[in-house]
Amino acid sequence: MTDIDYKAKGSILNPLKNLQFLGRRPVTQPLEPRPASANYRGFHLNDWEKCIGCSTCQKVCDNAAITMVRIPDIKEDPVNGIRNLRPAIDYGRCCWCGLCVDICPTGSLSLSREYVHTCTQDEIDSYFVLPDSSGMHGTYGHGWRKTADADLVDLSRHPMAHLEPPQRSDNFDEIMLGFTRQEAILEASRCVQCGMCHDACPTHMDAPEYIRAIWQDDPEEAVRQIYRTNPFPEVCGRVCTHRCETACSIGRRGEPVAIRWLKRYAMDAVAPERVKEIAAESKSDYMTGKRIAIIGAGPAGLTAAFDLIKQGHQVDVYEGLSEAGGMTRWGIPEYRLPAAALARDVDVITSLGVRIHYNRWIGRDIDMATLQLEYDAVLLAIGLGLGRSTRIPGSDHPQVRKAVELLREISQGSVFAVPRSAVVIGGGNVAMDIARSLARLQKREYGTVRITACALEDRAHFLADEIEIIEAIEEGIEVLDARGPQRCEQHADGRLLGLKTWKVDSIFDEQQRFAPRYDNSDERFHEGEMIIEAIGQMSDVSVLGPELTELLEWNRGRLKVDAAGRTNLPWLWAAGDCVNGPDVVHAVADGHRVAASIDAYLNIREDVA
Amino acid sequence: MTEHHEGHQSGYQRLQAQKSLKEILEIATEFERIAHDFYTALVPKVSKQIRYLVEELAAEEQEHFDLFQKLANNPDLEKQVGTLIDTPANDHGFSDCIHLPDLGDHPDDQAVLQYALYREHAAMEQYSALADSTEPGPVQELFRYLAQEETKHKNELEKAYYETVHRGGV
Repeated sequence: MTDIDYKAKGSILNPLKNLQFLGRRPVTQPLEPRPASANYRGFHLNDWEKCIGCSTCQKVCDNAAITMVRIPDIKEDPVNGIRNLRPAIDYGRCCWCGLCVDICPTGSLSLSREYVHTCTQDEIDSYFVLPDSSGMHGTYGHGWRKTADADLVDLSRHPMAHLEPPQRSDNFDEIMLGFTRQEAILEASRCVQCGMCHDACPTHMDAPEYIRAIWQDDPEEAVRQIYRTNPFPEVCGRVCTHRCETACSIGRRGEPVAIRWLKRYAMDAVAPERVKEIAAESKSDYMTGKRIAIIGAGPAGLTAAFDLIKQGHQVDVYEGLSEAGGMTRWGIPEYRLPAAALARDVDVITSLGVRIHYNRWIGRDIDMATLQLEYDAVLLAIGLGLGRSTRIPGSDHPQVRKAVELLREISQGSVFAVPRSAVVIGGGNVAMDIARSLARLQKREYGTVRITACALEDRAHFLADEIEIIEAIEEGIEVLDARGPQRCEQHADGRLLGLKTWKVDSIFDEQQRFAPRYDNSDERFHEGEMIIEAIGQMSDVSVLGPELTELLEWNRGRLKVDAAGRTNLPWLWAAGDCVNGPDVVHAVADGHRVAASIDAYLNIREDVA
Repeated sequence: MTEHHEGHQSGYQRLQAQKSLKEILEIATEFERIAHDFYTALVPKVSKQIRYLVEELAAEEQEHFDLFQKLANNPDLEKQVGTLIDTPANDHGFSDCIHLPDLGDHPDDQAVLQYALYREHAAMEQYSALADSTEPGPVQELFRYLAQEETKHKNELEKAYYETVHRGGV
């Protein structure tokens, strides 16, 4: 050890200098850190009850200080927009900028007023923290938190121009008029790219990608992203059940991004011929020589056709009616989905080489055995084309009609005597569709609307979209909840008079099964020259014939299929509403699933051959 | 078709004439056997996709048959019946008014369910009426018990009916 030199040691008298402090008042500093300011950006706090694991905080962090950690105890619920992820912060990287707080869609993240953390080397991992509402050490409480000024989330949706009730109540013109370019870009700018929409969508559309493309003013790229997963964008851009918006993280505090309308904007913005070119971009440049027959030209059948033709197979679609689209063509009124928009989707699919044989009924014009012989695989996608009846007393009267059949007649332009008054039984979208269609015809013919819609469900449990109910009421329809149909009353001369109903006391039983209970002391009569039943739908499986029906396996009235949509017969698949119930986007998802299964089956057969 | 089931007047009269619990249960058991045989015979007549429904109905009638038979053979019958009616089932009412459908040669699922509902409803009402017209005591308790069993069965059928027929649209 070397001696310290004189200058470094200082004077020998230096200790005596301390004597000068003897007369002063002592100052004591506490060991605890001083309280930080009210808006201090200290360690993170996260309210796990509010946090949905959307990862927006992670995406915005320029320092890559946030890692999303999977928490097995939290249940994932993609349909309702919940991931079992929670943000963990690496304080070796964090710069406490607070962007994660400002962008957080739910408002679960905030910063505390706590800023001191020390540890020994072997505890160095303690700088990597999974914060909860207690923060790092559970002291000091909130500092920087989301305020209206600092909120980076735009909570309000940009409205879309639409027809007001007086403009729409006597015609079938499309109600929603679409976004302008500027409106679409502004609406797209609200998206935080969390991808909850992608998880919730049955066909897992790349919504963040096409929304980003719209925001970048590149609608062609948006169309490209859309066609990766959905060949029915014109339809889904208008009438999709938009699970994406239910799961949208922005919807936690504000209005969800108008994902459905943005999809429609992209389609509106690109010329149909260019859409066809984009849709054909990944089409196989050779034909496999395999042939597939598809029964039913609805969304499920045509989605499968779209995939299979792109994989190089020859596809023939057999459709019983004169146009394609299934329930989207014949069951959804033009004011919600113009036939021309649907036709554009179908045009794209047929432009790839899919052949649709119209007015060809299976069982009448061609039988299943022939299809089995002539094709390598057959897909059954027949939808739910038949309406159910309550079969209550009097429901066999000719003026008691089924909604799906009457909607089909209206779509086909068939002439029928428009009733001056009508009662609709049902509270789903089909009930609203027929009520609103008849209301338009009444308004046009008689200048007034006299329609009552009676649903079993109370308003909170209506199956119809809320907007459908609101618009129906705006158009003069009386919508009654919690009414159970009891009897169709008729005059002695045979004229239909209307419907008697009982009040529904409750809808679900203790096990949450649909089991309405009634109060028959509360009976009401609803006048109607026509009663329309919109209570449920079923498939016309008679096309299969008795022999095939016996060969197939069934699951409680529906065709039994495996996860890929294949029946117990190796050559036959089933998809869409007839297997999974009514919903366009589910049908699209189903179409993809069975197409992948059929393609795999054909490739295996080729390998074996 | 309805000649032998308990919705028929002759069934009511037969039951009303019985005074012993064992005899009443034997007749009720016989009704269940007839219903079971009816559904079993119906199985090959319906399309395969709804055969499960008729098979389930037959199985449920078989369960009732076994239950009643076991009860009839119980030496402690009176005490047993008294215990069984402690938690009566409530009739929920049924809006799609119950009436006997024409089953025809090839009934569909809705017609089969309507038939079954009608049958359970008629049995429930009949046992209730018998209980009301009987002096308080073991016989009345037995009728209450039988009414309760049919009500429970009817409530289950109603759920199956709604789940089958009242399905949402697009």
